Amino acid sequence: MADEEDRILRVWTPVILRTILIAATAALTGGMLAMAAQPSGYYIGRFRAVQAGIAIRQQQDWSSIVSAAVRGDPHSILTIGLTILTLVPLGRVAFTFFLFLKQGDIIFVLATAYVLAGLVAGVMLGRIG
Amino acid sequence: MLRILGGLFALAISAGFVGALSGLGGGVFIVPGLVILAHVPMQVAVGASLISVVATSAGASVAFVRDGWTNLRVAMILECATVTGAVSGAYMAGLVPARVLELLFALMMLQSAYFSMGRHGDEMLSRSDPLCAWFRLGGEVPGDDGTMTPYGVANLPAGATLMVVAGLMSGLLGIGAGALKVAAMDYLMRLPLKVSSATSNFMIGVTAGAGAMVFLARGDIATSVAAPVALGVTAGALAGSRALPHVNVQALRLLFVAILVLIAIEMGWRAIAGL
Repeated sequence: MADEEDRILRVWTPVILRTILIAATAALTGGMLAMAAQPSGYYIGRFRAVQAGIAIRQQQDWSSIVSAAVRGDPHSILTIGLTILTLVPLGRVAFTFFLFLKQGDIIFVLATAYVLAGLVAGVMLGRIG
Repeated sequence: MLRILGGLFALAISAGFVGALSGLGGGVFIVPGLVILAHVPMQVAVGASLISVVATSAGASVAFVRDGWTNLRVAMILECATVTGAVSGAYMAGLVPARVLELLFALMMLQSAYFSMGRHGDEMLSRSDPLCAWFRLGGEVPGDDGTMTPYGVANLPAGATLMVVAGLMSGLLGIGAGALKVAAMDYLMRLPLKVSSATSNFMIGVTAGAGAMVFLARGDIATSVAAPVALGVTAGALAGSRALPHVNVQALRLLFVAILVLIAIEMGWRAIAGL
């Protein structure tokens, strides 16, 4: 990797990682606080349902998750926090993709594009179930 | 509520702390902890663990990338293999019976224990084999006197094959499969150990992220478990990485290996008894 790209990578990767981590931590903490503010028994009820294998699969569309989060629904806020966290690898690979693109290294542009496509395929496979 | 949350936080902080000290990541401790101690189903533990592996990898990668130890070209080529395995594994995790997952997990823990015993590859290569040279996978590491020493890379096809297995295990079992990745890069591809560890750490996050996306999109992440675990393991890993320079890691390694073997026996027994 050329010196300029290497410098960009070393400087910006930590910045990107920290920013996403802080955003995810803030959302997760907010969600936990919203959970604590719910009536007594709310969390225990959810946890017991998970233990019993009842409340696991809860596929929702994004518009309903965001609108529920705005209303203060703890599960939706936590889902957003966890999703931000999973964007960390996507962000890192996307950043690397643009660096290889800038460098004109076609083999590694293709390799990184394949990894990005794999991450997107993961979401699509998950939606199919 | 406080008792359950306190227990989950304590488990996650301990797993993150021990995972950072041992270099194995938190996943190998979180999954059995959640299954055996918190009595949650295996699939829930796998989903929560994948999320926490992403978090710990991101935290540790900051220093590795900044200091230049990560070989990004090796990481990206091998990620093609691990992501393929991880997405397939995470998809299958929803279909494979929990007892089979527990048995596979026990076997993976024994493998991690074996590779944690500390045997490492021979001297680093001075030049890459033709295929790795074509991909320009070699790099440089700082020597004892501060001068940069070039290193070569070999056996890309064998390394990539093992990475498909590592990805598959990561998606199926919710672990980073770091021990397997380091083994592939260290033993097979002959990368210097510290480069293998740093590159593996970078890859673990991407591999686990691929699996986590399948779980999240499918709605298989139990937020009431995954959120406190992700927060706790991040705090534990941060504390573990700060404590690392002040502890005798070699002395602790035997203890970690013993813990891994004990957990493997417990998980294996649960699986066999339930089949």
